[in-house]
Amino acid sequence: MKNAIKNCFIVILFYCFFTNSIALGQTPSSTASSSPSIVVDKDIQQLKDKVANKVLEIRRQNNKAISGFVLSRDGNGMKINSDEVNQVKFDDTLTKVFKVLGTSKKEIKKDDIEKNDYVIVSGVVSDNTITANIVLIDENFLVDSGKITEINKETYNIKVLTSDKNTYSLDIETGTKQYMVNIKTLLKETIGFSKLKEGDTVHFVVKKTGSEKNNTYSAYKILVIPQEYFIK
Amino acid sequence: MKKETVVAIILGLLFGGIVAVFISLKSKDIELSKNKVIPPLKEKIVSSNLTGVEMKSLELTEPANNAIYEKDTIRFKGIVSKDSLIVVQSPIKDLVVKNTNEKFDFEFPLALGENSIKIVVYPKEKQFRPQEKFIKVYYIDSEL
Repeated sequence: MKNAIKNCFIVILFYCFFTNSIALGQTPSSTASSSPSIVVDKDIQQLKDKVANKVLEIRRQNNKAISGFVLSRDGNGMKINSDEVNQVKFDDTLTKVFKVLGTSKKEIKKDDIEKNDYVIVSGVVSDNTITANIVLIDENFLVDSGKITEINKETYNIKVLTSDKNTYSLDIETGTKQYMVNIKTLLKETIGFSKLKEGDTVHFVVKKTGSEKNNTYSAYKILVIPQEYFIK
Repeated sequence: MKKETVVAIILGLLFGGIVAVFISLKSKDIELSKNKVIPPLKEKIVSSNLTGVEMKSLELTEPANNAIYEKDTIRFKGIVSKDSLIVVQSPIKDLVVKNTNEKFDFEFPLALGENSIKIVVYPKEKQFRPQEKFIKVYYIDSEL
């Protein structure tokens, strides 16, 4: 109902815009004067801008973004495991699909979206369905923090207890970015696994694929605040 | 033994007992009056009392959770206790800041698409627990 009213408003605005343009467009030819034409052109431009801004504002107000793993695909949409809205509808002319590759993106076809892909969908939500303007296929990251409770120097694994009592098992790989806060300068410094201590606070980022078991993840990045900071 | 002797012994024992009880009671009173109760030091009480320390909870006024942005940078604005350590982490950026004022305002970069960001505030008073907030913001390029 709300969307219908908004759509009606857009139609009326467009109608006013076009009728005004036609009406105003006839004026110069009848008067055959140059100065009123400039004024009319300005008016038309102002009206055009107003309509464009209003349309943009309405689009922004209704625009939402959701994310989740693709559960299933069908011809004109897909189902995702998002908390709020889980049905995505494609628009043949409007929907664009991109694959995020680091800092760049590549446009792909809707058919290239596969089951278990992590998607970010932006569009207008109505009745538990989002009509997609843009679909981005990206990686899903988990960002959290907690205290190191266990260090395994043989398997390069640490156990982290978060404030909400979750225990994560993090594998520190060779590609894991490891930083520590210098307690005097508060600057980040690159460290190795040997610098980690039980009791240190660690902020971490992991990639979620959806197939992890026992809360075990490969760490993408860690930032350690040594316990000395809290006892100085 | 003569009768008078027995009476004298009994009276002697009675008198001795009365004197012994009297002396023991008196000595207890003297001992109690000599012992002083040592009160706890006032300084110690003051140092362990934390009710006077003001603690501001983390208020994040910007950005809003699930907000969509068309630019690749946003500003983090809010209020925390003075001299807290603020740690903001996302997959593309780690920021460690010590705020000297209660208000904070700093720039933070966004990656294209979804940005999971965790903000943790460690108060200056180390006995207080850290405060945390987790938000998701989206950077959707307007040119897409």
